Amino acid sequence: MAAKVVHLALFKEEQIDHAAEAIGRLHELGISDQDISVISGIPYSERILGRPMSWTNIGRIGLAGAVLGFLVAAFLNFGTPLLYPIRVAAMGLTPIPTAIVVTFELTMLGLLISTFIGVFVETISPSFGPKGYHPKISDGHIGILFSGPAQLDEKIHTSLSELGAELVHEVEEEKLWL
Amino acid sequence: MAEQKVPQKWGLVVDLDRCTGCNACIAACSMENNIPFVGEDDVAYGRGMYWLYNKREWVGEYPEVKPAFEPVMCQQCGNAPCEPVCPVFASVHSEEEQINLAVYNRCVGTRYCANNCPYHARQFNYFDYEMPEPMNSYLNPDVTVRRRGVMEKCTFCVQRIVRGRQKAAAEGREVQDGEIQPACVQACPAGALVFGDVSDPQSKASQAARDQRRYQLLEELGTLPRVTYLKGGGRYGS
Amino acid sequence: MAAETELMQAAKPVEHAEEDPREHLMFDPRPREEMNRMIMEAMTTTTRRYWIWLIGLGLAVAVLLFGAWGNMILTGIGIAGLRRPVFWGVFIVTFVFWIGISHAGTFVSAILRVFKAEFRRPFTRAAELMTTFGLAAGALYPLIHLGRVWVFYWMIPYPNARWLWPNFRSPLVWDFLAITTYLLSSTIYLYLPLVPDLAMARDRTKGWRHTIYKILALGWRGTEAEWHRLRKAIGIFAFAIIPVMFSVHTIVSWDFAVGMVAGWHSTIFGPYFIVGAILSGVAAVVTILYVLRSTMKHFDYFIRVEHFDALGKLLLVFSMAWAYFFFNEYLVSWYGGDAAIKQVLTLHATGPAAWVWYTMLICNIAIPWLTLWNKTIRRTPWAMFIITLLINVGMYAERYTIIPLTLGHQRSPFDWGIYNPRLTEISIALGTLCLFMFLYLLASRLIPLVPVWEVQEGQMAHRLRKVGKARMPSVTELEE
Repeated sequence: MAAKVVHLALFKEEQIDHAAEAIGRLHELGISDQDISVISGIPYSERILGRPMSWTNIGRIGLAGAVLGFLVAAFLNFGTPLLYPIRVAAMGLTPIPTAIVVTFELTMLGLLISTFIGVFVETISPSFGPKGYHPKISDGHIGILFSGPAQLDEKIHTSLSELGAELVHEVEEEKLWL
Repeated sequence: MAEQKVPQKWGLVVDLDRCTGCNACIAACSMENNIPFVGEDDVAYGRGMYWLYNKREWVGEYPEVKPAFEPVMCQQCGNAPCEPVCPVFASVHSEEEQINLAVYNRCVGTRYCANNCPYHARQFNYFDYEMPEPMNSYLNPDVTVRRRGVMEKCTFCVQRIVRGRQKAAAEGREVQDGEIQPACVQACPAGALVFGDVSDPQSKASQAARDQRRYQLLEELGTLPRVTYLKGGGRYGS
Repeated sequence: MAAETELMQAAKPVEHAEEDPREHLMFDPRPREEMNRMIMEAMTTTTRRYWIWLIGLGLAVAVLLFGAWGNMILTGIGIAGLRRPVFWGVFIVTFVFWIGISHAGTFVSAILRVFKAEFRRPFTRAAELMTTFGLAAGALYPLIHLGRVWVFYWMIPYPNARWLWPNFRSPLVWDFLAITTYLLSSTIYLYLPLVPDLAMARDRTKGWRHTIYKILALGWRGTEAEWHRLRKAIGIFAFAIIPVMFSVHTIVSWDFAVGMVAGWHSTIFGPYFIVGAILSGVAAVVTILYVLRSTMKHFDYFIRVEHFDALGKLLLVFSMAWAYFFFNEYLVSWYGGDAAIKQVLTLHATGPAAWVWYTMLICNIAIPWLTLWNKTIRRTPWAMFIITLLINVGMYAERYTIIPLTLGHQRSPFDWGIYNPRLTEISIALGTLCLFMFLYLLASRLIPLVPVWEVQEGQMAHRLRKVGKARMPSVTELEE
């Protein structure tokens, strides 16, 4: 499969309506959502731009981490006193009230650390859709990266420029991380 | 070897009507347990390391003022507040002797146990206290010398308890009542301190503990202390 | 008739002064480009004054904190002022103080975010930094106050040849778990919303800064997936870190409350400490915002009088809540408590250190209640700076009352003792304050202190809507 050429249409931050309209026009020209990728300086709900909702596994990863934390806490609370029983005061070896405190802390720790690990792993994993970046994005612009067949180039150019887009042709994928 | 009966439950009885406040118990305890000398300034500031202190209260109106003595040591509580709060298990309940153990090697020095003791019976080693030559020659080899940063307290002379039990086991007999005596009990000239197995109803300590004059310190807190005090006011019986 | 019209004319409706909406940050938008540039300038500008402060504070930390602490490790805890029966003193007081300050960030960035209080936007990061550095300063104390700090790791659960585990029934172990959880989560919670701003900084810098930001920004482009993931993670964190925050200070309060000490064994300590922590923390946020606004370039655009106003109102509410919990504890102990606790209360109010107790009451109750109801005072930054400094002095006095004063006056008068803090303790406490300020100064030049993307998001969401004859502020929820 030949590498697709990626173009970028930049809209200023106030021109959300134009950006949404632009995506509509790209759809009309036959460019599917898989070939479009939107990058922006602030989060826009996918509904604003008429795009399919993104998905993430972070919720599930967080939950798994919470369960792991719970199990570790169960071991520390009930396993360790049974492994090496030491009597203190007239308290039982495995009292429930103290176990609740430890369980709560370790469960939350598991949830939060695993959520972060999820974010980290998902961020550095390869992503789908057109790749490319422009520093103006962090200056608040909305960028629409798209790749389409060469013959549509002119049509796209005209229809997007009408909406006030700044067009950048043949955006290269930059190595933004290591 | 004689059949090992149930471990003894050691208890101490302090007869306040006999106590003269001579502090021989404190001196004996210090010698037996290698208690360091911290110096006048530190003692004045409240850092004396004595495991046993004599609470002296003045009773009565002038000119009939009298001191009332109450030697207080670690009460070896059955429900010790110092035990559950230690993060590293340096203050634990002994299954064998049923007293509270001070594990010097494990203590990291958070001092939570000392705060939680309602009798303020615990001491903390603030410095490495020097024993200049030749004073270090009288150190008791049965007891460790604690370094700075660890808590210490009265142990009912557990080294004597263990030695007594081992001797009895080696000779194939039971431990006799009165055979094992902590240093303070041994030293008291008035015989105000009685030590023994309170689970044996016939021992001297048990009998003394059943006296009508008995009370326990801060009983209402529910610490289940092993030390019983006897106090009749000095005129009891007259 | 004439009298009626006269009356009606006299009773004209009061003219509402048209407040310029551009006084509010959310209604005074500037292009993102310009805001980025302002923040980058603020971050990269270092004046001579900055370097003098930074080096001075660094030296202070080296000498006051690590020097004094090292000396104490070599000599022994005895150079502090601890004694029987006051085995916990200034070390633990300052520990609780720093953990309390650390609740600031979470309150601002999590609770205010969950409640959609839009005024939080420009200072969430500044507050979160306070949490992280407050915890860094506070987390040193469980090490500092140990008698044998070289074996501190025995409190950490790890498998070892002797099968020894720490005592999970001890509040100090819960402390260790809670503070670790809170420190890690709040650092991550600081980092997650920072990523888009790091990407912005990556795009605008060269050299060593560019390398650092490039690594930390994780290749952020701003795709929908990245934003979705970030928002989800921030959402999980915001909701989850609130119970963690409550639990941390509750567990710290349990260090005292589960004990048998008269005056500590109170069920109200949990909520009492939490409210005190939030009061202390929010006051510290205001203090820091004043310093930021006065010293950093362009920060008068981001931090406005409206923020001091809003935080001032919150402070008044929390001061009242604190007074409620304090009085609750006091009344119950004073009315039906046993002789020991009544003695403690008498000591607090009339003993040799009663001035500490009065300082606490004046700074936590009198001063906020006399000043913070007034809008003009709330909208005067330097006044808020002084008031909030005093509130934190009051909160320190509160912890001092609770810890050494109560410990010194327990059930047996023979054992009562007065605690005198010594130079080492004071030095280490000041040293941790200098550490906090030092870390903050460093961070202010290494990461952008204002979350510009959140400010821009807020500005895009705020509009003035004409309702009748007035133009009313309205907020669009862009996140739905």
